[in-house]
Amino acid sequence: MSRVKAEQQQPTTGMTLIVLVGLAIAFLLFMAFLNVVKSGNLLSETNLLFAALIFYAGAGALYLGFGVTGTESYVKFASLATWLGLIANTAAVAHRWYEAGHPPFASVYEMLLSFVWTLAALTLVAEKKFGVKVIGTVTMPVAIVGVVLMQLLRTDVHPLVPALQSTWLHVHVTLAMLAYAACALSFALAMMFLIQDNMKTETFLAVTSASTLTIYASIVLTRFENWGGLSLVAWNPEQKSEVLLSKGVRLFVTIPDLGWLMTLTLLVVASPLVLYGLARWKNNDSFLTLANRAVFISILLQVMTLVMFLVRARDGRYPSLDADGLFATSLAASPFILSGLVGGVFISLLYLLLLWRRPDLERLLPNADNLDRITYKTIGLAFPLLTLMIAAGAYWANQTWGSYWSWDPKETWAAITWLVYAGYLHMRVTRGWRGRRAAYFAILGFAVVMFTFFGVTYLKPGLHAYA
Amino acid sequence: MAVNFRASARKVWQTAASIKTGVVLLILVVIFSAAGTIVLQRPNTEPDEMQNAYSPQALRILDGTGLTDVFHAWWFLTLMILVSCSIIAASVERFPNAWRYFSRPYKYPDESFRRVLYPQTSLAIADEETGLVAAERALHSLGFKPERVVREDHFGIFAERHRISEMGVYIVHASLLLIFFGAVVDGIWGWRGTLNLNEGETSSAVELRDGTTRTLPFAIRCDQAGQENYKDGSPKKWWSKLVVVKDQREVEKKEIVVNDPLVYRGVRFYQSSYGPNGKVEKFSITATPSSGSGEKREISLGVHDTVPLDADTTVRFAEFIPDYAVRDGQVYRRSNELGNPAAHLVVSSKASGKSFDVWFPPLDEIADNSKAPYQLQPADLQMGHFTGLQVSHEPGQWAVWTGVVLLGIGLAFVFYVVHMRFWAVPVRDAKTGKYTLWIGGSANRNRDAFGQRFDDLVALLEETLRTIPKTSPSEQVATVAGH
Repeated sequence: MSRVKAEQQQPTTGMTLIVLVGLAIAFLLFMAFLNVVKSGNLLSETNLLFAALIFYAGAGALYLGFGVTGTESYVKFASLATWLGLIANTAAVAHRWYEAGHPPFASVYEMLLSFVWTLAALTLVAEKKFGVKVIGTVTMPVAIVGVVLMQLLRTDVHPLVPALQSTWLHVHVTLAMLAYAACALSFALAMMFLIQDNMKTETFLAVTSASTLTIYASIVLTRFENWGGLSLVAWNPEQKSEVLLSKGVRLFVTIPDLGWLMTLTLLVVASPLVLYGLARWKNNDSFLTLANRAVFISILLQVMTLVMFLVRARDGRYPSLDADGLFATSLAASPFILSGLVGGVFISLLYLLLLWRRPDLERLLPNADNLDRITYKTIGLAFPLLTLMIAAGAYWANQTWGSYWSWDPKETWAAITWLVYAGYLHMRVTRGWRGRRAAYFAILGFAVVMFTFFGVTYLKPGLHAYA
Repeated sequence: MAVNFRASARKVWQTAASIKTGVVLLILVVIFSAAGTIVLQRPNTEPDEMQNAYSPQALRILDGTGLTDVFHAWWFLTLMILVSCSIIAASVERFPNAWRYFSRPYKYPDESFRRVLYPQTSLAIADEETGLVAAERALHSLGFKPERVVREDHFGIFAERHRISEMGVYIVHASLLLIFFGAVVDGIWGWRGTLNLNEGETSSAVELRDGTTRTLPFAIRCDQAGQENYKDGSPKKWWSKLVVVKDQREVEKKEIVVNDPLVYRGVRFYQSSYGPNGKVEKFSITATPSSGSGEKREISLGVHDTVPLDADTTVRFAEFIPDYAVRDGQVYRRSNELGNPAAHLVVSSKASGKSFDVWFPPLDEIADNSKAPYQLQPADLQMGHFTGLQVSHEPGQWAVWTGVVLLGIGLAFVFYVVHMRFWAVPVRDAKTGKYTLWIGGSANRNRDAFGQRFDDLVALLEETLRTIPKTSPSEQVATVAGH
């Protein structure tokens, strides 16, 4: 009965979403237009990126809408939006290339630009070639996070320092972007597999809650200050760099109250895990229903925390414990916290996607076996690319520093990524790991990739300090 | 006892060769490498920083376990050796089978194989020969080289492509071992160090990373070095003109830049930095007689040079202090870094025997700048530069690069080259006496795409079978048409 009702409702909810997304895009385009009129330069890189962001966001929303409601016409629009976003993105890459005089691989910002481009291109390939229509549900949010991060990171064109003037650098970074995008795709496919595979959502509930808990716990444990403040790295807006007290010692500022908010979110985020534990212990499913509600509340709170963080940490001057006076900070100074917060929301939304799984969605996806096989194929693409990427990097290092392997953190983590995927391939080929376990492995692999890409750069400056 | 020993040896071997061991070792490598990126590492951290970061007890424990230098710790090396052993054991365990498979291809499918193989199909044929010829033709037109397999009591067609693909995984593992081997060779016989040369200087002493000095059997001279800048002042290019000198002869010359080293006898010289060496090359000054009569002169001099100003007076460049400090009427050299420089010139007169200390900047109390018979003004100061070279000797790197290339090839075989096999066997039904052609195929990966290929082959074969009977006796036409 309810099923029939749901199907009857579909067209209306579908229309509502299309209209909403259309309105949002129109609104954003209008705002962008005002901005363009003000700046007087239509084809500036910021505007192009903004356009890409709008289209990717629209595509993401439509893909998600398709995932939730199963209305097939969304995919066409989503695909169209992805195409438009890709075109804007291509123009931004070309603009950057022209302006800098070298391919856009020299800084985090430029690499993100290339990464997002590759990801969008691969999404379209997966959609057309493999028929995985809803792949954008997962890849588009990643692309959106990429573009948002780009807006926050420095955008000046930097001339290449001598060590970076090498063809091998371009080979190395191109391979890295291709490999990472292929990894992102395999992750998305593995998620699709899990949706299709009728897995129990409870397991995922625990994982989701545990990962968001880890994120908030690490933020609160390292950054919580006495009076409920949150300490962030101070930022010098003129030099676009961190403020150093002495060599290697960064200056921290404290934003009041944000620490309390983080702690509150930590508790709410932890609650689904506790409820899950209770459900297992008491063998009572009513706790699970509660836990699902808690996830929903935690998403709202996480979004609120993210917004508060964006508002307070974007600019403004705050006191510091280590020095007198007020100091500026910027989102660019805390990319790791920002990625953590965005990642938390992202993971929780993925869980919601699993909850909202519907029979019609399953009908529209390729069957589980096929998804499993395509995931393997994508990793079969990513793994050789990773290998060549590491090899090209080693060759370049040998040309520049006289050593092909220095165990610098980025190198080490690239090797760890390689090993994780090597493990995946071995388990799959020799032990016949298929399906769910393989999918978990693919997800783990992508998590390591993300850490190598973002985490290492900020945690430990080494030879890759400029990347 | 002997049996026991053999049994346990067998057990150890099987454990070493098992995938489980391999994966456990990989996980250990991952954990310890990750630890090496989280704990500060001695080789790339200043001692002070280590002390600031960890408490003395923690540091003692970390140092004792080798966690502050994971990648050079004995247990990490042991782990890598165990990984190598595991790769070797796993390959040795599995290779003979694979090699048999590779060197003695399975050309004639027996009945049990025919029963289980997928994909397979059977087509009606007039007689054995027609079926074989048709299969040969169809495979030919698909680009295969079919082979007729003749045994005593049966025969068939066999065709395959890319058998080498079966070896891909062994190529990959062998190349990994080759890379490890190269790295070990470099670890034992290789070395790395730095060599800083002033322009015009010759040296053969390389300062190694552990602080010792290594003398090369030849010397390196830097004729000239320089830097080019971008408009914003950041460095664009560093270059040095290097000459290899052996037994007083110049044997090799090269202008090196970053990313383009000079290689001589397996020793590589990399441009790694460039900067002022704190020494003055030329100091240009103008001298005007204090009396007011006489010409203004421009002179330039190096450190310790003496230049006559007129018949009676001379000026000597006594000293250059790159970073000075004044205390109690004395000038001290605070450091050798170029920060706060001072130049000391002495103007002396032979006739009066007097000499005057001229300082730039004009230091109060000490300097006689205004009393000297000549008023000196600084015009230009040219500093000398040094070029910083990284020197390394890596005798194992050829193994490493060969390994990398092989690794790429091996992976290409593993993932993208498919070993495809096709068999065609004419089968006579014992009851009806009619012939059918059994066709089967197998691929070692990408089976769905192979299924399509197999269907194509079957379609082509049917087509071929339809055309063959035109040249054959009429009774065969009837047989085929009957189906």
